[in-house]
Order: sequence, then structure tokens, then C-alpha cells
Amino acid sequence: MDSKKKNQWKAWLYLLPALIILAIFTVWPIINTLRMAFLKDYNELGLIGGQKFEFGFDNFVNVTKYRGFVNCLGNTMILCLVTVPISTMLALIIAVALNSIKFIRRTMQTIFFLPYVTNSIAIGMVFMAMFSMVKGYAGQEGSIGIINTIIEAFGGTRINWVNPNSSKAANMAVLIIYIVWNALPFKILVLLGGLQSVNKQYYEAAKVDGTSRIRTFWRITVPLLSPMIAYVVITSFIGGFKEYTSIVGIFGENMGPIGSKNVLNTMVGYIYQSLDNNQGRASAAALILFAIIFAVTMVNMYVSKKKVHY
Amino acid sequence: MTDNINDIDEKVTPEQPATEAVKSAESYVMKKKDMNAVSKKQIAMKIAVQTGLYLFLGIMALAVLFPFYWMLISSLKTYAEYSETVPTLWPRQFEWSNYATAFTGELNLGRLFLNTCIVGIVSTILSLVVTVLSAYAFARLEFKGKNALFAAMMATMMIPGELFTITNFVTVSNFGWKNTFTVLIVPFLVSIFYIYLLRQNFMQIPNELYLAAKVDGTSDLKYLWKVMVPLAAPTLISITILKMMGAWNSYVWPRLVANDAAHKLITLGLRQASWPVEGLEGVEGAINYPAQMAAVVLVTIPLLLVFIFFRKYIMKGVSRSGIKG
Amino acid sequence: MKKKFGAVIMASIMACTVTAGLAFSTGCGPKKAEFVMPDGGFDTETPVTITFYHTMGQNNRPILQRHLDKFKEVYPNITVKEEAIGGYDDVRDQITKEIISGDEPNLAYCYPDHVALFNQSGAVQPLNDFLKDSGYNDMKVTRKDGTTESLCLTEEETNAFIKGYYDEGFKFGDGSTMYTMPFSKSTEVLYYNKTFFETNNLKVPTTWDEMEETCKKIKEIAPQSTPLGYDSEANWFITMCEQLGSPYTSATGNKYLFDNEENREFVQRFKGWYDKGYFTTQGLNDNKYTSNLFKVQASYMSIGSSAGAKNQSPDRVDGEYPFEIGITSIPQVNPAKPKVISQGPSVCIFKKNNPQEVLASWLLVKYLTTNVDFQAQFSDASGYVPVVTTVLENEIYKKYLAEANGFGNVTYLAAKVCMEQEAAYYTSPAFVGSSKARDEVGALMQAVFVGKDLNETFKAAIEECEYFAG
Repeated sequence: MDSKKKNQWKAWLYLLPALIILAIFTVWPIINTLRMAFLKDYNELGLIGGQKFEFGFDNFVNVTKYRGFVNCLGNTMILCLVTVPISTMLALIIAVALNSIKFIRRTMQTIFFLPYVTNSIAIGMVFMAMFSMVKGYAGQEGSIGIINTIIEAFGGTRINWVNPNSSKAANMAVLIIYIVWNALPFKILVLLGGLQSVNKQYYEAAKVDGTSRIRTFWRITVPLLSPMIAYVVITSFIGGFKEYTSIVGIFGENMGPIGSKNVLNTMVGYIYQSLDNNQGRASAAALILFAIIFAVTMVNMYVSKKKVHY
Repeated sequence: MTDNINDIDEKVTPEQPATEAVKSAESYVMKKKDMNAVSKKQIAMKIAVQTGLYLFLGIMALAVLFPFYWMLISSLKTYAEYSETVPTLWPRQFEWSNYATAFTGELNLGRLFLNTCIVGIVSTILSLVVTVLSAYAFARLEFKGKNALFAAMMATMMIPGELFTITNFVTVSNFGWKNTFTVLIVPFLVSIFYIYLLRQNFMQIPNELYLAAKVDGTSDLKYLWKVMVPLAAPTLISITILKMMGAWNSYVWPRLVANDAAHKLITLGLRQASWPVEGLEGVEGAINYPAQMAAVVLVTIPLLLVFIFFRKYIMKGVSRSGIKG
Repeated sequence: MKKKFGAVIMASIMACTVTAGLAFSTGCGPKKAEFVMPDGGFDTETPVTITFYHTMGQNNRPILQRHLDKFKEVYPNITVKEEAIGGYDDVRDQITKEIISGDEPNLAYCYPDHVALFNQSGAVQPLNDFLKDSGYNDMKVTRKDGTTESLCLTEEETNAFIKGYYDEGFKFGDGSTMYTMPFSKSTEVLYYNKTFFETNNLKVPTTWDEMEETCKKIKEIAPQSTPLGYDSEANWFITMCEQLGSPYTSATGNKYLFDNEENREFVQRFKGWYDKGYFTTQGLNDNKYTSNLFKVQASYMSIGSSAGAKNQSPDRVDGEYPFEIGITSIPQVNPAKPKVISQGPSVCIFKKNNPQEVLASWLLVKYLTTNVDFQAQFSDASGYVPVVTTVLENEIYKKYLAEANGFGNVTYLAAKVCMEQEAAYYTSPAFVGSSKARDEVGALMQAVFVGKDLNETFKAAIEECEYFAG
């Protein structure tokens, strides 16, 4: 009893540094955000100038009625729903492949980890350069970009990926490729780590039974890796809903190709854009984003509880 | 807050898998039993599969490497070659002077490296201390409200950090922390994610070790330092690397609060520097992209080196459970 | 018992931070006191430090520094810390945040809409007390060398300013308060390839109709070229509104008025030009300045900032310039009533609790804007034109102007054209959200040019602006 009581204050002592910092730099901003979200068109400059702000739900109403915001919401959803399954699946296949080879495995592992240690804005610009078509002047044939060059070499037709008047689908495709590229290393790392600790007995048993590789993959690998897969999916959903820098990297602060400003904007992009002049709406948008992430994470957790095999 | 946490949230190290390495011993026994003769067909099949695997991995590896290649060759092109409409796949001549320009221009790369290292190292050390203490409290100590507090902390991870920026900016300004290293370090010291990560790690260390230590009369702190920390070393190394990378890549927050030469961090410096093209000095819009790319290469290389050097630890941290085998 | 213990600690930590936070955000208060003229005027004894934010680069910053050293000799107790902060928008963003926390600089480069934004908080210092009829006219400040200067602008100094620039400082609210002083200015001018024009016997366009004609001809002569490069779509739109007399924005009432038949008409007309390959813009040209095309003779006309004349200059081939540059006014709707945009930074002063800081800032602004040497040298280095006419009497500057030619010395040629059209300058109203309108019309032009629906794009741009305005 006595030692337990001692443990009490000791635990709090251990936690004290973290709690103080969290209270100042996390808890207080959260409270302040709540306050700002419910004050109509709250902005700090106006506050200093003596402006009064109405209390109510106006920020939420204005934000959700705004076409630009609905677009941001849609983009964020699409990016999440497409990139998370693709990158998870691809990472899983690569991890399994890596796990099945011996020669130059370490080199391969290193290569696949490289995107992990980069600045997403800088590399985004590189992707832009690779997909971009450089317009020729007055009938002159311009450069079609390295990716289109490759496509045509394989007999395909060139696509306007990121240039003016490109379709949103093409823009999204570029973004998705980039986001997947960026997301792979972490996922491969986790899944490969998981694979390496999976009990080899199961595979031996499968081999003895003559089970096909594909069947083995679905029946043994995936279920055994389910905790890692669930983990990877949840974190990448959370990351996906906060997507921002990848779009800035490729399309710049314009958040879309030339002539299509903000076409590819996301929730976080919207929050950033309204942070300077209208902290009330920015806060409301952030709370909406939070609610969505929370809901999706809960669903994810629920599903993984049902499906994860330990 | 801003990009530090974002970068990290996306680039996290996973928790340790819950499976036990102990079992692998059994599998070796099994393997030996099955080591009977393999038919030729099986060998052919195996070769085909292996070839396929290498082919697939090779293609994927090329896709992964391509942007790096592009960055490198761009950094070695002359400005004239870079601005050509048809991109060349290999520089006609290596323009090494781009690298000299990156160092000698208004961009004080040495100072930027130094600042970034100071912030990176100090914040890593402090962050490790705070994280270890908190993770230990959550993993080993019993106190009321532990689960509720932990859950509450985990919940804050879901809040978009961008939102904290405005409030935190006001806070640090009022603390008088602007243009100091403190402002770059303190607000980011606590990462709930790291605490979570380390807690998972600590929890895998068998309770028996702790109880035995208690019987021996070892104090909590000593036990933490002598037993738990060494056992969790791979995770701690991973945290260190992530933290350093955070300092290396952070942009939005430093731009707001530490924009002076004495405290400027590397990404900020890179983006802010104007890259005059020789003959077009002072001209807005004329940017020496090759020199900029050269600087980006210089900034990327330390990260790559750190990674290559510590790769073993990262892999270990991921692939093995808490107890060293 | 135990339960309470933990809960109490938690609660107290939370409570502490919340109250601390509230105290910080409202307690000390970033709001500055109103300026009251101290009895003795400026105190030349007590040391005072002021901060100046600008966007100067390698070329012109040393000139500022040199003159700050001179200023220090005149007033040894004033220390000026100058900081280069990226571009104009970076200065705006940084100051916006600093006003919130109460540590904005003392003075800064600004554009009128930035000032409108800052002034939501009432942070910008009105300059009326320092003007010629302020009531403090007899107030003197003693320099280090014992001579004195008037604290306020004298009659003579006021008259030296180019009127259009000086009056810009009043373009806020009811127009009675001055918030900014012009620092260095520029406008848009038309650069043309004089050699090409002469060889092909082309007439330099003075109206938009002539421009269309010229583009058509150039296209016939050189089908591979893009005859015209126009750097800023937004400037183009706003200037067209101004030239046509059609509504753009208004500082009061319904702010966003640019969706009207006349405006749709000219956008549609230019879209037709774009389809025929007559022009490109910076935005459509991959965000590269269109001067890049002009220099290499991929285009033969270029409309851009007069401060960017240097950029238009082609690289020398074997020591010779491949062509001569001509510079003239941009085309007009009605050449009898010309309109050209006024650009370039002004400076504003921020309120401070210590009136001596405000006075020191004012003395610096006065020094930099009225000092002929500084204005001349700065103009030389930056390509911006001086804001005071007295510079024209400066021997060195006179010599520069006389030497201007269409080969190596285009900067002064541009400066000349710029100064000749003094009467044609316009500025559009500045209000919170005026920069939003500017961004939107620029984006609108781009969108229509690349093929978006005209009516839909106008509607969306208005919607954007109005959402922004709240």
C-alpha cells in the first residue's frame, strides 16, 4: 500500500516534464482552437483592433457551405482512399519479395528505404519536372517530359499530366504516384520487420502441404502480418488526411496546375490558407478534420479488432 | 506543431512485433527434418521464381532511385543546359562549380549546418530523456488515471498540428523566445508517438526482470538506466534518427520564429536563399537551379550517411523484439 | 484518495496553463499606445534601436547599409537593425504574426493592401503629425554636427516628391490619413525589339488595337515566335479596368465589382489572341519571367516592370548585343487618357509604446526618401525609379540618364519612360481583401486563357473573394 502510494507521486514526477510541455504547447492550443472556432470570423488582428466576434456556429456553416472547402475535403478523401491501399499492397509485395531473396538483399533494403530520408518538397519538384510537358512555342515541338517519353517508347500516347488544362484525374495520378513513392519505405520497413519475426514453421507446413505461393500469401502471410498491416493502415490514414507538402512540392502553393488554382487543395492546405486572415474558420476547419480523422481511426480500430489475428 | 510533427507522423518507426523470436529455434528443427531431396522441377521453379523476384525488385528499385538520379544530374548541369526544353539524361559536362556556388553564395551553408546540428543534437538528447521517463511511467509504474491519461495523449496525435501554430507563436513570443535555439527545441520535445513507441518496447521487457531487480533493491531509476534503456537501444536510436531528421527538414515553424542568421536552420536557409545566375544577378525569377540542386544534394547526403551508418540498428529495432537474442 | 491525488495534479497543470495562456494572449496585450508628440520632440541623447524589414537583395542592400552608416553619423543614438525578409508577401506574413504577439518591427517595406491588413489591428502609425502642415512645423532636431533639420517634412521636401507617389500614402479609408511614404517605384513598360521592328518596318503599338495588328504581323513574319510576353496577368486585368473605366473593386460597400460585361469582353478578346499564339504570360510560361523569351528573341515585345529592365537585356554575343531594345509606354485604350500601374514598395511605420522609437523611425524614413544620393544610388542598383524629382538634378544621375541606350544601359531608358508618364499612374483601392481580388483576377485570366469557361470562371472568382471577405 505504502509503496503503491509512493509510486503514485513518482509516476507523476517522471511524467512532469512531458506534461508541462504538453500543457503549454498542445493542450492550450487545443483549448484556444475551440474558442476561436466558435467565434465568428475570429482573427487576431481584429481582436487587437478591438473587434468583437459573435459566438455561434457560423464558422462551421460558412466553411462547409464553401465550394473550395468541399473540394478540399473530396481531394483529401480520394487521396487517402487510393494511396493507402495501393501503397500498403505494394509495400507488402515488396516486403515479401525482399524476404524471399538472399543475394543483395541488404542493398535492396537500403534502396527501398532511401525516400524515407528526403525532403518532400524538394523531391516533389523533381517529380514535377519528370511529368511536366514543356510547351513548344508556336507549333514548335516542345519537350514532353521524361515520363511521357517513356510512355511513348512503350507505344502509349502522351498524357498532359501537370500542365495547364490537364485533367484532374491526371493530376491526381501524379500525386498518387508521388505519395505512394514517399510512403513505401516506412511500410516496407514495418512489414519486412514483421515478416522476419513470423514463425517459419507456418511456411514449412505450407510447403509440405504443397500450398501455392499465392494461397500462402493470402492464407498465411497476410493474417500473420495483420497487426503490422493494421498499424500501417491506421498511421497512413492519419497521415493521408494531413496531406499537404506533397502537393506543394509538385504544384507549388498554387495547389493545382496553372489556371487551376486550388483544384488539388486539401484540408490542411485550406487550414493554412485561412490561418492568416481568419483563424476562426481555420479552427473550425481543423475541428472538422479532427472529427473525420477520429471517426476513420475508430472504424479502422474496430475493423482491425475483428480481423487482426495474433 | 507544424512540420516537425507532421514529418514524423508520416515517417514513423513501427512498434515491435509481438511475436517471439524464441520460436525460431523450433523451426530450425523442423527444417532439418524436411531437408530431403528436391526434385529438378522444383529447382527450375525456384530459379524462375527467384528471377521474377529480382526482376520485380529491380524495376521497383529503379522507380525509387529515379528522382535521386534526376536531382544529382541536375546538380551537375550548367544553367544553360538545365534550362533547355529537352532535358538531357546525362550532363554534357560536369559543372562541379555548382557545389562551390552552393557553399560560397549568400547561403552560409556552414552556419546552417552548425545551427541544424545544435538544434538536432540538443533536442534529441532532451527529447530522449523526457520520452524515456514518460514511457517508463506508462509502462512500469502504476498510478491512477494512467490509462485515461495515456488515451487522452494518444488522442491528441490525431489533431492536425498546423492548428497549434498560431497559438504557439503567440505563446513563444510572450516567453521572449523568438530567435533563440530554445524556440526550435522546447515546443517539440514531447512526442506522444515516441512515448507510445518506447512504452510498447518497455512493456515487452518481461516483468520478471523488474521484480528481480526490485528484490535486489535496485532503484527504479537505476533499473531504468541499467536494464531498460540498453534493451530498448534500437528504438532509442530510431527515435534519435527521426528527431535529427525533424530538425533537418523543419521549415514552417523555424520560418516563423527563428529567421535570423544566427539560428536559421538548413531547409529554411535553402528555400530563402536567392540563387543568382551569373550575368543575371539581382534579377528576380532567374534562379540558379543547378546550384540549388547541388545544395539540396549536400543537405541530403548527411541524412543518407546517417541512415547507411545506422541502418543495422534501425533494422534490428524493427525486426527483433525487446530482448536481444 | 489516490484518485484525487492524480486528478488534482492533472487539473492544476491544466488550469495553470490555461490561465497562463489567457493571461499571455490578453494580459500584456500587444496593442500599442497612441503616439503623442513628446514635449521636447526627438531626444538625441538616449539610445534607441529600431528595426527595418525589407526585401532587398545582394545588389541594393549594401547601398542601404552604407546610408544607414551615414545616418548613424547624423544621429549616433539611433541604431537601425535592417533585416531582409524574403519577398513582399513574406514581409507581410511575418509582420501579421508579429503584430499578434506585439513585436512587429518599427518600419517595413509595404504595399497598400498590406497596410490595410495590418491596420485591422490599428498597428500602423499615421504620419499626419510629420507632414508639412501638422502643427509641429517649428519642431527641430539637432544633428550630431550641430546643424538642425525640421522634424516634419518641409514645404520644399514635400514638393520634391512625385505627386502621384506621395498621394498613394493617403489611399486608405476616407483619404485623410497618410500611412505610407513612397520608397522606390516602378511601373509597367513595353519593351520591344527595336532592331526587329526597324528591319520589318513595324509600328510600335500605342493602343490595344494596334497591338493586335502588330502581333498578327509578327506572327506572319516569324510564325515560330510568341510576339508578346506579358508578365503579370493580374496587372493586365486591373490596368484594363482602369483604362476602360470599368469597375474593378471598391474600398467601400460591395467590394468586388469586377464581374461585368466590359471585363468579360476584354478577357474573351485576349483569350482569342492567346489561341492564335499572340502572347504568353508569366503564369502560362511556367512561372518564368517572359523576359527570358524576349532576350533570346523568342518574343519581340515584353510588358513587364520598369525595374526589371536589366532582365530584358540579351546576353552579349562576341561582345556585341544581338539587338537594340526600345522602351515605351504600354498600349492604351485611349492614348489621350493613359493609365499605367504604380508599383514598388512604400514604407510604413508601426506604433510603439516609446514615442522616441516612432520619431527615430520617422527620421530614418525622411532621410531615406528625401536623400538625393540614396535615391539616386538605390535607383541605379535596383532599377526602381527615385520618388523625388530632385534626383534629376543630381549630376551622377543626370549623367546616367544621358547615357541611357537600348543596348547595355536599358535601366535608365526604362527609368526615363517611367518618369515621363508621371501623370498616368493609378493605384487601386487598398482594403482588407484587395490582394485577394488581385490574386483572383490573375488566376481568372490564366484559367480562361487555358480554356476554362468564361462566365463560370468569373463567377467562381467573385465567389472566392466574397467568401474571403466573410
